[in-house]
Amino acid sequence: MEIIIVLLPLALLLGATFVGAFIWSARKGQYDDLETPKFRMLLEDKQLKTRKDGK
Amino acid sequence: MEVCVHCDEAAVPPIYQKDDVTLAKPFCCEGCLTVYHVLHQKGLESYYEIKNNSSIFKRRSPVEIKSSQFSFLDDDEFIKEYTYLNATGARTMEFYLEGIHCLACLWLIEKLPEFVPGVVSSKLDLDRSVVTVIIEGEGKFSQVAREFNQLGYRPHPLKRNQDAADLRVKEERLALTRIGVAGAAAGNIMIYAVSLYGGAAGEFAQLFNSLTVAFAVPVLTFCSYPFYQNAWNALRNKTLSIDIPISISLLIGAVMGVYNLILGIPDNYFDSLTTLVFLLLMSRYFLQKIQEKGLSASDLHFFYQSESVLRATDSSLNEFIEVHPRFVKAEDVLKIRPGEFFPADGVVLKGTSNLNNSLLTGESFPVKVEAGDKVFSGTQNLTHDLVMKAVNASDSSRLGQLLKNVENGWAHRSKIVNLTNIVSKYFTLAVFILSTILFIYLYQTHDLKHALEGAITLLIVTCPCALALAVPLTFTRALSKASEQGIIIKSDEVIEKLAKVRNVFIDKTGTITYGKLKVTNFKVIRESKLRVQDIILNLEGRTRHPVARALLDHIKDQHAQALPVEDFKEVLGVGVSGTIERSFYEIRKAGIFENGELVCTFDVQDTVRSDSQDALKKLSQLGIEVTMLSGDKKEVVQSIARDVALPLENALHELSPEDKSRLIKNASHSMMIGDGANDAIALSHAEVGVAVMGAMDISLRAADVYLTTPGLIPVEKLVVLSQETMKVIRRNLVLSLLYNSVSVACAFLGIINPLIAAIIMPVSSLTILFSTLVRTTKSRNLWKS
Repeated sequence: MEIIIVLLPLALLLGATFVGAFIWSARKGQYDDLETPKFRMLLEDKQLKTRKDGK
Repeated sequence: MEVCVHCDEAAVPPIYQKDDVTLAKPFCCEGCLTVYHVLHQKGLESYYEIKNNSSIFKRRSPVEIKSSQFSFLDDDEFIKEYTYLNATGARTMEFYLEGIHCLACLWLIEKLPEFVPGVVSSKLDLDRSVVTVIIEGEGKFSQVAREFNQLGYRPHPLKRNQDAADLRVKEERLALTRIGVAGAAAGNIMIYAVSLYGGAAGEFAQLFNSLTVAFAVPVLTFCSYPFYQNAWNALRNKTLSIDIPISISLLIGAVMGVYNLILGIPDNYFDSLTTLVFLLLMSRYFLQKIQEKGLSASDLHFFYQSESVLRATDSSLNEFIEVHPRFVKAEDVLKIRPGEFFPADGVVLKGTSNLNNSLLTGESFPVKVEAGDKVFSGTQNLTHDLVMKAVNASDSSRLGQLLKNVENGWAHRSKIVNLTNIVSKYFTLAVFILSTILFIYLYQTHDLKHALEGAITLLIVTCPCALALAVPLTFTRALSKASEQGIIIKSDEVIEKLAKVRNVFIDKTGTITYGKLKVTNFKVIRESKLRVQDIILNLEGRTRHPVARALLDHIKDQHAQALPVEDFKEVLGVGVSGTIERSFYEIRKAGIFENGELVCTFDVQDTVRSDSQDALKKLSQLGIEVTMLSGDKKEVVQSIARDVALPLENALHELSPEDKSRLIKNASHSMMIGDGANDAIALSHAEVGVAVMGAMDISLRAADVYLTTPGLIPVEKLVVLSQETMKVIRRNLVLSLLYNSVSVACAFLGIINPLIAAIIMPVSSLTILFSTLVRTTKSRNLWKS
């Protein structure tokens, strides 16, 4: 059972990492719009062929 | 049948691109064709590829391109009120776009920075059809708006309340963080709790127990804060809330857990309590999310006046600039073009035209006005340019006063004490009495320590978890079902009110009827030299009068041919005339004449929607009393009443907006269905206000429910859905009370411990979930056939 001394902190650390990641992503606004991004990722990131202003 | 390349609507008759005959594609109208050309010019033709490969989630209508230059968007006054200055010097503005319907729209809108100079970013929220544009340096919002307009999306600037928006985002993110923390903590606590139930002993028991307490601390403080806050507010306002018994259980559970930890007893209820907090936070979050679908009330606030008008800059009436109706002041001289709404009350200075008063008065037939006549805000100019002088603008105008009345209606609306709160009142009382009895009983049979423990345990295990879960879950389910069918319900309270509706009041124009003139009894009396449809196309094609529109609509499928017309004349209030192929033709109210002889007769009237009679019948079958309210004349109202088989005493005519709301205030359990500004006060005074599709924005603000599909059939389904939803809620309440009784019985028998609580709680929550998902047979079949 001594292995628990190692496993327990490991498990806690792993959990804490994921909670931390979740809080970070929520604060960054990852979940603000749950509808649009799922479509956005389907679109290609191509530049337009012709550009009027030439920039 | 050919389908328009751009908007996928039927193209009858199709028009083709002129420059490319071999590859000619059909279009339904000039608007769609123009957008097609614009997209090609800009190198945006991938739009069609994306559109054809993606599913369409909103029906789109043919494009109508406005001639507006949107120059008012660059006025300092406007920018100050409507835009938000970022820290970097860039400006942000939000537009509601009409016509957003598929993935390709998203692509197109978000490509904006690549073809409009000065645009930094353009992000579209598909759910709300709202785009957030950020510009910098030489960028101009007028140009952005013109581009949207050219691409076929009519932009409506939304007033941005940055502080409120920031606050909302912050709160939502905080709510999500609470859910995440509660979920993670509850999951971890369960691991150690199971080890404890499984027989962990000695130093492990002590270690695991301290871990569960450590995990429970953030859940019972940070995550549970909203419950404590609600409970505190309820107590302070001397009202009741389900959050009071929840808070009591959580707090007592926390105290007991920490107390046991100090004494070294591995006994606490944190596994059950944290899971409960997690589930409750989630169910409330979902309910809130579903209610936020569509534009919020604050977004609609400035919506009804979002079209621009022309204001004269000098006294000679030659030069005009565009202004936003929000900034129209008394004494301004304005030019109102056909199709535009009057932004203020005033007097006509120049021109004659026909007005559509139906939104303000409910009158279905157009009204003629000329110089010197009074006009009111909220009415629409139909046929010719008018120059007017504003007398009363914004708040003091007819529309502004209606709006004030609407807000009054909202403020004085009776708040219902909802079912959960009534139940929780008796529930809390019962739990306190029971724990007192248990305390006295145990004190007499055992000792003080036992008695305290027993009473405390009872308070914890009777936490109304299933009860608190049942209601938001059921409402979320009902609201999402309704929104799938195009019924947007603004809040969950509405469902409780809807289930009780006994008196329905329905507006006539635009609700029971189409609100648009249609040709009926079209009879050709005598053969004429020209075919009748050719006469109609060539004479009526030159005017915008609603009767002309109705006649053109009537002959739309009959391939009329265009011919040269000489001496065309339009006399307002009489009709049109002209010479075609040396014969003199006239179209008047009475019919069509060839060289003075009658060749064809027709009636023009506002016709009843095809599903109105059916919908009204179904409503009365539910035991609801239906009354029709109209501002229109007696004969018109009675003929419509006969058409929908409504008793004449239930068809009330010539009512002012104030009359309507008075009638509604006197009725109990009332529902008002309407569309126009004249219904807005009534909508806000009724217990439930339903705005139908095509409703003017002011009614959307006043209504609790709005329909995004045409017709009245959804109303009946909505009532049934609400009644069934309330049945499910009552069933859920009974089930959850049943489980609580089991906990109470266990506590009295002295066999309660954390393990039993940890079994009862998930089982009761699962039962509730199941009961909510299966709903009732009637509500399952509601939208099937």
